[in-house]
Amino acid sequence: MRLFLLTFATLGFLTLPAQADHAAAAQVHDITVKVNGLVCDFCARAVEKVFGERADVEGIDVDLDTHSVTIDMKEGADITDEEITKLITDSGYNVVEITRAADKTE
Amino acid sequence: MRQIIVMVLILLFALPVQARPVSYPGGWTVMLMNDVDINSLHIHYSPTATYSVGVRHEYLRGSKANVDTAAVNYLIKRWNMPAAQANLYIKSGAGIAYDDGEYDPAAYTGFAADWENRRFFTGYENRFFWADQTEKFIKHKARVGVAPYVGDYGDLHTWLMLQADYDAGADDNFSVTPLVRFFKGPALLEAGYNLDDGALFNFVYRF
Repeated sequence: MRLFLLTFATLGFLTLPAQADHAAAAQVHDITVKVNGLVCDFCARAVEKVFGERADVEGIDVDLDTHSVTIDMKEGADITDEEITKLITDSGYNVVEITRAADKTE
Repeated sequence: MRQIIVMVLILLFALPVQARPVSYPGGWTVMLMNDVDINSLHIHYSPTATYSVGVRHEYLRGSKANVDTAAVNYLIKRWNMPAAQANLYIKSGAGIAYDDGEYDPAAYTGFAADWENRRFFTGYENRFFWADQTEKFIKHKARVGVAPYVGDYGDLHTWLMLQADYDAGADDNFSVTPLVRFFKGPALLEAGYNLDDGALFNFVYRF
């Protein structure tokens, strides 16, 4: 019995980091936003500039082929769908859909 | 009748004549435009994505007059589509025109409309210009363009375009100018040549 409890406790301890990593992975936000109206470099640059003013955004990737914007947030940072929609709208474009990397892993 | 046909053709084949006159919030744009009629430099700042304010200097080659105006461009409506965009703007300005020590109040206004996707471009704009004794005109411009290849953001984009110009008050009032547009990141350059009227050279930089 003691051996069983010891083994169980050891396994539980060893799996803690993995569980913590999973939780962290769920909070890492690579966010992909489908956007209407992105047709040229000036459009892409507008989105880059507006998001680039935020200190919590690590990087932005605009893909004109897929009409999408990928937002790479800094570690521990988050941004709400409402904030994303406002920034895209302020840039002059329309949000169609917001997908978070965490959504895909769950 | 001929004028009506010309106007209908211009409207039918209208294309985005110039780069968009409004930038992103906090964006500055320098626009240098040169054609057979006008050399102009327009610097504007966009507090929001719906309007820009700036200054515009232009030299009217016909009357040899200079014009300095405070300019306001307003995005009336934008249609964002999955793979295309259309815009309707009003562009206006007020200031002075001067030549040989003579000064006149000056003002202009006009509408601009465009539709584009990554392969095709079409646009139209008009301009009603008034400078009391110096010069008055109503000009219409229309463009159609096609991109021979579609590049991604950051690539060098190339457009082949035709620009039609119509000036109701001029003797030789209709012209067509073939031009090429190169577009990369924040910079846009256009060069064209019209066998009747001469060269066209435009440069736009956004920052």
